[in-house]
Order: sequence, then C-alpha cells, then structure tokens
Amino acid sequence: MEASPIDIVIFAPLAPILGVILFWFIQLVIIESEKFLLSKIRPKHEPFCKFTNFLGILFQTVCHALGFTVTKSGISDFYISVDYGRVAPKKEKKGIFEWISNAFLFIGPFFIPALLLLICLYFLMNGGFEIATPSQLLELRYTFGEQITTFGASLLAFSNSFFTFLINIDLLHPAHFGFLLLMIFLGMGMRPSYIGKEKHERVDMLYDLKNIGTLILYKPIYPIILFVMAYIFFYISFWLGQNWYVALFAILGWLSIISIVSIVIADMILLLIRTTDEIPGKWKVFPYTIMPVSYVLARILFFYIPTDFTKPASILILILSTIIVTYVLLKRKSNRFKTERDIKQLKKKSKGEKDE
Amino acid sequence: MNEDELLKGEKVEKILSPHPLSFMRFQSLSLFLIIWGIVAGWLINFSEWNNLFSDNEWLTIGVWGLVLLFAGIIASLITVRWSIFFLYLIVFAGGIALMLSAGWLDTYGIFIPFYTVSISIIGFLMVEAYRRSHKYIISNQRITFKGGIVTKRERTLRYDKITDINAKQGIIGQIFGFGTITPISQSGFGLGSDKSFAGGGVQLGEKKIKLFGLFGGGKEVQTPRARSYYELHGVYPYKEIKKIVEEMVQGNVITPYQQEQVAFQKEQVDIQKQMRDLLKMQSESKMDQEEGDSSEEEKES
Repeated sequence: MEASPIDIVIFAPLAPILGVILFWFIQLVIIESEKFLLSKIRPKHEPFCKFTNFLGILFQTVCHALGFTVTKSGISDFYISVDYGRVAPKKEKKGIFEWISNAFLFIGPFFIPALLLLICLYFLMNGGFEIATPSQLLELRYTFGEQITTFGASLLAFSNSFFTFLINIDLLHPAHFGFLLLMIFLGMGMRPSYIGKEKHERVDMLYDLKNIGTLILYKPIYPIILFVMAYIFFYISFWLGQNWYVALFAILGWLSIISIVSIVIADMILLLIRTTDEIPGKWKVFPYTIMPVSYVLARILFFYIPTDFTKPASILILILSTIIVTYVLLKRKSNRFKTERDIKQLKKKSKGEKDE
Repeated sequence: MNEDELLKGEKVEKILSPHPLSFMRFQSLSLFLIIWGIVAGWLINFSEWNNLFSDNEWLTIGVWGLVLLFAGIIASLITVRWSIFFLYLIVFAGGIALMLSAGWLDTYGIFIPFYTVSISIIGFLMVEAYRRSHKYIISNQRITFKGGIVTKRERTLRYDKITDINAKQGIIGQIFGFGTITPISQSGFGLGSDKSFAGGGVQLGEKKIKLFGLFGGGKEVQTPRARSYYELHGVYPYKEIKKIVEEMVQGNVITPYQQEQVAFQKEQVDIQKQMRDLLKMQSESKMDQEEGDSSEEEKES
C-alpha cells in the first residue's frame, strides 16, 4: 500500500498531537468531577479542602516560577498561601517569553504533578516505558494511521504496566504505600483552579479552556511557531528513521494517563468522604478503620493460604469490605436506602417509645 | 482561672490552649521515628534486602543508628537546634543499652522497629502533655500565659504595656485556622535574635613554622520570638483572637489625640472648679450682705 506524500507531510505529524489533546480533554472532564465533589464536602471539611487548594496553588505557583526560570526572567517575589499564590519576575519580558511563562502557568499544573509520579513509577514499575516502533509494514511508516497506531501502542504498553502495578500494589511495602499516598495527594491538587468559599466567578472547565484559549489567541503566531517546530521535529525524525516524535508525545500521553488515574482515585476517596458524612456520630470513622484492618487481615489469611493473586485479592477485599460496611452503616444508621415501610416502622417504634 | 486570681473589675474574655497541631515541629520528630521504625522493620524482615541484615545484628544496628543520627543532624542544621541531634543520639544509645542489658541482641529484627515506634509514641504523648500544660487567659485587663509540665511558668501582660503585636500563621495553621500571636512588651519581652556566623581558618608552613589564622564575621537580627508559654502559641480561631487582642490593646492605649482631649478636659474641669469656687464665694458674700442688712433693719425697728 502506497502512502500518499500529503499524508506523510501534512497529516502524519498531527496524529500524536490529536491523541494528546484527546487525553488532556478527558483529564479536564474528570477534574470537573473532582471540583464538584470538593465543593460538596467543603462545608464539613474546610481544612481538607484548604489543603487540596494549597496543593493546587503550590503546583500552579511552582509552574509559573518554572516558566520564569526557563525564560530567564528571574524571580523577584514568590508568595504562597492556602488561597493565593504570586510569582513576580525580576525582568518583565514581553513577547514569546511572556507567552511561554503564561503557558507554564496554565498548562503546567496538568502535567508537572504527573511528571513527579512518572519519575517515581520509573523506579517502582517493571517496564512499560518502551516506545513502540513503527510496524513491520514499511509502506505505512510515518503516515497518519501508523503514527496514531504507534502512539496508541506506546500508551497501551504503558497503561498495561501501570494498571498491573496498581492492581498488584503492595500496601505493606513502604515505597508502594508512599506512592499511593503521593498519588492521592497529587491527584487532589492536580487542578489549576481554586475552589473558594464563595463563588465569586464561575471556575470550571470552561474557565480553564477560556484561559488557554486566550493564551492561544493572544498571540496566535507563537502557537503557530510551536506547530511548525513540531512539524520540523517530525521531519527530522522521519529523515533519520527514528521515532522520537511519537516518543515525545507518548510521554505527554503517559502523563495524562497518570493524571486521569490519580484524579479518579482521589475522586473515590472524596466520594467515600461525602458518603460517610451521612453516617451520624462516631460510626463514620468505621469505614476508614475497616480499610487497613481488612487489608492486613487479608494479607495474613493469604500468608497461610498462599495464592497467585495475594495482592490483588487483598485490595479487592479492602474495597469490598469498605463498600459493604459503608452500605450497612448507611442503611442502619441513616435514612438512606430505607424503604417507605422501614420508615413507617421506625416512626411507629419511636412513637411507641415516646408513649411508654 | 480561679475567681480569686481575678483582679478587681476583671472579666475573662477567652481561655485558650494551643491547637493540637501547633507543635508540629516536635510532633514531626516523633513522626519521623514512626516512619523509620516501620521502614526499618520492613527492611530487616520483609524486604528483598533482608538477607543483608540476617544474622548481622551490628550491621543492622549500625544502619538503624546511622539513619537516625543523620536525620538528627539534618533536622538540627535546619532548625539550628542541636538538642534534636542529642535527642536522637539518646534514642540510639538507649536502644543499644536496652538490647545489651536485657540480652535482646538476637531479636534485633523485632526489637528495633518496636523500640523505635514505642519511643515515638512516648514522644507524641510528651508533646501532647506539654501542649495541654499551656493555658492562655485573655481578660479585659491583661493576658495571662501559663505553661510547663514540671516547672509552672506564668507571664502576665497588661494591654497598656504592649507596644507591638507580632502574628504568624504557617501553612498548617492556615489550613486548620490557628496561628501564633506574640505580644511584645515595652521591656522588649517577646523579642529574640537570629545570629549567623561565618568562620574560616588557614594554616601556613609545614614542618617547623606553622602559622594559623582564624577569621570570621557575625550578624544579628532581632526577631519576635518567645517560648510557647510566653506567647499565644497556635491559638484557634487565629483571626478572631488576633482581633480581640488588637482591640484590647487599642482600647488601653492613649493616642496623642486622646491625650490632648484628656488635657483639654482637665483644663475644662479646672475652669469649672474655679467658677464654682467663685460662685460659691459670690453667693456667700451676698448672703453675708443680706444677713447684715436684715440685722440692721431689726436694730432700727
């Protein structure tokens, strides 16, 4: 099959870019769910929300400072608090330098925390960092289809290793446990917008997109230059017969996957917090207690009855026992999951007690 | 605060204690011990490197102690407090002494993690006891600071003696809403100093003649600082307490305008007094005159 020159010259370089944009968009959508959950638990968990805000602001401020450092603007002022962060450059640089530092500010928080996790994963995970080489179908090399396939294969290989690692994570291993904690914490701060006490303005996905849109439209020449540079990089890779171009975008794709998984895990924790808030009194602590207890008991059990799936089974037991305990507590201690008949019975019972 | 401790007309506004997380610098020392105890236990017994430590108790003790002391040095350098290093040294020496005296050297794999975690729990309890010994009483006349587990310390500060208020809130404080307020008195109580010193030495000559020189320089910066029982350490809610203290100080400090007003009022009172005296004198002389007239009339009649 002959590959058309137009495909190679114009469309092929676009393939991994589109792939990254797609993943990044998914990341933005999931961030929305996190923001929603955080705003719901805020009244009862003010310090917790402040902490997640601090993480978000910390990443944003560090990314902005990184932008000023990269553009050699220098940093004259660096201030950070739980609800506000400020970085001022030593030299006010205009043009492309200002644009790059703004790009770091708006886009950095999506990728920098994930980069930290990727570095940790490099030491913890067995493989998965290989970039898939173009397929054996030589006539299809460096076409749009082949580029997207190679990009997808790289992501698949990474995802496979990453999920295998997550399923087999050993919570009694300090490094694995530390990684999970870091992943949850970073997942909670992996958002560029601050969740305030009062909604002064609408801060959501559209707000983030608007910021990035403004950045692109502010000086469209710069994104065009970046595009041209990407194309040149693709042609160099093509000319040297290497797969560097896809490798670069595959790393961005890995970062997006890490971010998405981190935010999903953080969302699960937030959901648990929100659900346990409905349980009255000290019973709400019980689901959190059952998590380590069930895991340790499962590991002890599998120590005496060895299986091939000790770690995944222990994690499954942890998740199931937490869900079951939360459900039972919700049903018994709150009105959630109670049928009309149950409510009537309860009312009768309480009335009877009052009469007595 | 007991009723008999209150002054005449004194009313207690708030009784405060430091927030449980306000002594994080001490708690973090125990936290490190817990983490290191767990990691050491895993490293010796379950990790892929446990072969290195099996049947080699002195290597295990050495690694355990080395990490402990290294952490102590780092923490001491950061906080400029060598007591942290000596604290960890005592923990290390205590562990070895206990192992040797009780004959637990063979069970080092269990002893080291349990000992480290136990010490950290004791550390947590001590910090909690120390925190609970603090009591700050804000009344309408003064602030009373109390603290100390064995030796009880107390400081009383009248609002009119406060010249300056320093307030600080760290990241944990911002998250949980607590902070430290240090009132600085006219005598300078509440101020500390940061000193930095740089030194260097040079040696000249090799065999017979040796020259040795030392040069250095120092810097001192005054900074608001006091012991936790002499300041409102880690009080919650920080903003509200800060406002109360500032209002109290403001209410007890006479501003130049107020001083002018007081002098003016005093002058007015003096004038009024003089006028009263004059009126009194006038009325008395009038009365005397009237009495004189009436007695003359009586005589005439």
